[in-house]
Amino acid sequence: MNSLFFRKMVVALTGLFLCTFLIVHLSANFILLLPESMARELYNSYSTTLRESPLIKIIAYVLYAAILLHAFYALLITLRNRKAKPEKYVVNHSNENSTWTSQNMGLIGTIILLFLVLHLANFWARIKLGIGEEVGLDALGNRDVYEVAYTLFHNIYYVIFYTLISIPLGLHLHHGLKSAFKSLGFYHKKGLQLLAKVSVIYAVIMGVGFGIIPIIVYFK
Amino acid sequence: MKLNSKIPEGPLENKWRNYQVQSHLINPTNKKKLSVIVVGSGLSGAGAASTLAELGYDVKCFCYQDSARRAHSVAAQGGINAAKNYQHDGDSIYRMFYDTLKGGDFRSREANTYRLAELSAPLIDHFVQQGVPFAREYGGTLDNRSFGGVQVQRTFYARGQTGQQLMLAAYSQLYKMVRAKKVEMFPRSEMLDLVVIDGKAKGIIVRNLVTGELQRYAADAVVLATGGYSRVFRLSTLAIGCNGSAVWKAHKKGAFFGAPSFTQIHPTALPQSSEAQSKLTLMSESLRNDGRIWVPKEIGDTRLPNKIPEEERDYYLERRYPSYGNLAPRDIASRAAKERIDAGYGIGKLKNAVYLDFKHAIEKFGLKTIKDRYGNLFNMYQKITGIDAYKEPMQISPAAHFSMGGLWVDYELMTTIPGLYAVGECNFSDHGANRLGANSLLQASVDGYFILPNTINNYLATESKADHPSIDHPEFGKAEQEISEHITRILAINGTKTVDHFHRELGRVMWQECAMSRNKAGLEKAIREIKQIREAFWKEVKVTGKHNEMNPELEKALRLADFIELGILMCTDALEREESCGAHFREEFQSAEGEALRRDEKFAYVSAWEYDKGDFKLHKEALEFEFVNPSVRSYK
Amino acid sequence: MKVIFKIWRQEGPNEKGTIRDYEVDGLNEDMSFLEALDHLNELLVLKNEKVIAFEYDCREGICGQCGVFINGRAHGPHDNITTCQLHMRSFKDGDTIVVEPWRAASFPVIKDLIVDRSALDRIIEQGAFITAKTGTAPEANSILIPKETADRAMDAAACIGCGACVATCKNSSAALFTAAKINHFNSLPQGKAEEHKRVAEMMFQMEIEGFGSCTFTGACEVECPESISITNIAEMNARYVKSKLLK
Repeated sequence: MNSLFFRKMVVALTGLFLCTFLIVHLSANFILLLPESMARELYNSYSTTLRESPLIKIIAYVLYAAILLHAFYALLITLRNRKAKPEKYVVNHSNENSTWTSQNMGLIGTIILLFLVLHLANFWARIKLGIGEEVGLDALGNRDVYEVAYTLFHNIYYVIFYTLISIPLGLHLHHGLKSAFKSLGFYHKKGLQLLAKVSVIYAVIMGVGFGIIPIIVYFK
Repeated sequence: MKLNSKIPEGPLENKWRNYQVQSHLINPTNKKKLSVIVVGSGLSGAGAASTLAELGYDVKCFCYQDSARRAHSVAAQGGINAAKNYQHDGDSIYRMFYDTLKGGDFRSREANTYRLAELSAPLIDHFVQQGVPFAREYGGTLDNRSFGGVQVQRTFYARGQTGQQLMLAAYSQLYKMVRAKKVEMFPRSEMLDLVVIDGKAKGIIVRNLVTGELQRYAADAVVLATGGYSRVFRLSTLAIGCNGSAVWKAHKKGAFFGAPSFTQIHPTALPQSSEAQSKLTLMSESLRNDGRIWVPKEIGDTRLPNKIPEEERDYYLERRYPSYGNLAPRDIASRAAKERIDAGYGIGKLKNAVYLDFKHAIEKFGLKTIKDRYGNLFNMYQKITGIDAYKEPMQISPAAHFSMGGLWVDYELMTTIPGLYAVGECNFSDHGANRLGANSLLQASVDGYFILPNTINNYLATESKADHPSIDHPEFGKAEQEISEHITRILAINGTKTVDHFHRELGRVMWQECAMSRNKAGLEKAIREIKQIREAFWKEVKVTGKHNEMNPELEKALRLADFIELGILMCTDALEREESCGAHFREEFQSAEGEALRRDEKFAYVSAWEYDKGDFKLHKEALEFEFVNPSVRSYK
Repeated sequence: MKVIFKIWRQEGPNEKGTIRDYEVDGLNEDMSFLEALDHLNELLVLKNEKVIAFEYDCREGICGQCGVFINGRAHGPHDNITTCQLHMRSFKDGDTIVVEPWRAASFPVIKDLIVDRSALDRIIEQGAFITAKTGTAPEANSILIPKETADRAMDAAACIGCGACVATCKNSSAALFTAAKINHFNSLPQGKAEEHKRVAEMMFQMEIEGFGSCTFTGACEVECPESISITNIAEMNARYVKSKLLK
């Protein structure tokens, strides 16, 4: 169970789960783009529903576990892979045979992880754990999560940061999605060609989607 | 000493069976107590080592490369012949035997050649079982192609990588036995001497190429599978590391050398382009299936090949040999190319090449078919020359290739030293004066897999009662001492010229006088010159580095020292054989049309040379043709 | 033609290595890269220096013995060739050429540019064979193999074992090498009997030899002289999963 292959499987499976999660996450975030009157109520009631559903509670724990496992096993693999190449080349033009992203998934992943810490502090810690400034209620009595996002994205530094972070996110997802399938043993030739395209489309939607929301909210 | 070829009784088709019935066997328990050294890990070496290990012997296998898989068997591109008659085109064991004997210009033993053909079919079965991905028809059956010197399609192939694929199968099987702890593998180890105790081969002295340490290994029998020695010409199709040292050391310890001068010059190699060149890359002969060879009809025609119209091209092979055309045997095709090049019709930068053109084949079969058949060869050609051969013809030129000659062996593949066997290219056995294309992989494999594992029992059965040799025997000490002194001597010269300098010199003389065409005066001159080279080498060579470390320059020097001596023997042999046969073409002996003139009445024998304190003594093994009547070889 | 070679020199496995500069004149474009090194070595001998140890044998791109890192690429600047197929016409007069040995924990340097690749042999030893003794084979055409199957097996079997995949991989993964061999055998009917054992044992060996894992950068298939597709690795993974599930 401690084999390299097992670790790869964990990273691939958790990665795919996180990819699926991101689809749900982004879809919900698109609510933020609606006119304010609609957006606030819809977004808040949606988040209340999520918070109170026992199924979602379980999924939430799976999600935390997935993030931790993904990061932990990716770290293990990276450490092991570094050990496999203790001495680096004096000159290495890896850009001529592979993409920068594929060579730097660990670095990109670390950036995303750091972002995640901030992101959780911004939202999850306040809403779920009640740390920091208290979150008020909206007209329907739901916790006003919308307000949290709205305030945050009216801080220009956060907007820039959240938008910029969507670039490494997109890159990470692009390489991660197709590689996850290959790690799991998907090798159908035509299927892989399709997968390559799907990965691009997916990564662009996620990157642009998550990147553009703060900007639009900022100008609202 | 009288040469005994030990050919079994009976009609041709029963000889091998009769031999097997009559030879001694060893019971499994005793086999475990017997050890065999195999030097070389190519097709014959790996085949022999793995099969002997499967039989129960304790095997040690040595190679100079970093892995057994690198042996130069990998380089054979075109294919392997077998008398399967899958194409229903009238092939049979007998026809294959006859083609091979005729291809060799009747200078090999009938019995050996017949056995080669006989064991070819089971060999294909063997390799298929070992997972060789041979080319297939859509229906799933094995595909065949044709090859030079024959009129049937009996060549099995795996794209342009047949040698590599067979080699990998042999290497796989070898490592299966390494895993089973029945074979101990010693890569980066070069045999530097043979140890003979009481007239029998009992071990070898090896130089560990990583540490430089001299090591002793003892065994009940020694098998040499060390390949060909055409690097004596320096420029050849062989790997740079291929050498003649093992066979030469065995020769000096008493093994007779058979037909040393029989060297095949391959017609389709890439031409030499500069003095610094180290190697001539072979383009598979299979290209001659669909490619047409030509030169311009006019001397000094500088137009691009595609600009030269059909009627101004001389398809000289088709002109001279209408029934075989571009598929004439190698020696004939090479000589015909040399004839055109010498007459001034050569093409290319150095005017040393001829065209091999696929235009017609592409028109006829379509680009896809040609790509399917030769794709990787065309790729390789482009990688090396930068030319796209789908668009313009290849430029090819003859190059030193295969050593038909080698240690003289009897029907059991044993040399004149009891307990010393030679298998594969390093022996002289089946090909006579010229080898047919796609017979080399065949002979190497059949020797290693099928013949040796049967015949070696016959010898070891007697040895199982004898004492097992020990590396503490004084003969081991003596051999190691000699080698150690030899190395010290070379390192101490500290002259002013590099090893490569002398190798270029030797190659120049050998290529000039002892390659495609030879004559008395030239050979006599060559012997004198090589002796001068030898003298100069031992006075002026400079080898840096130490003996007790990895020292590639020392390795080269040791090999060259042996090549120089071997070159003298090759010229001596070529000089002695006053006839033209196969690849051996003596200018004094040719017909009015310039074809080889064989002299059966005087030279129907195998020359077996005995080393005699720096000189060579000729022994003759008469070739008796009981079953076929040696005809004049005609491919017209 | 004149170039400046910057070449890794290292006396032995435990010695410290360093890059040394050699200005070499008298080269020409038709020389192969290895012939240029030969030329340099001759000059070194005449200067009473030790020659640079580097690997080669067939010099026609098939034995897999040669292989160095040249100007930041395995086997030099071109895709899908061996070092011996690289020619000086790929460089310009006055170029600087940096030459380093393959780098991987599993490929320790023996001397200068020579590394020990025996780890690859040991992967082969763990199952890249068909357990059948010489002399036991059935008639070759008794098992029909569709052309497509044979062709695919051949695509994978084309690997020459040079180790460029490991050298170029940032993880020093031997996945392409191992996958090519496993897929060659496992896709043929002859290899079926031992397919699960083969994939499990060879992949296990790959790991204990210290090679890293595949993260699909795709560098290997660009440097592979035989253009073996990285899809082979995905296929090997599938075979591995299957072997575990069917155990």
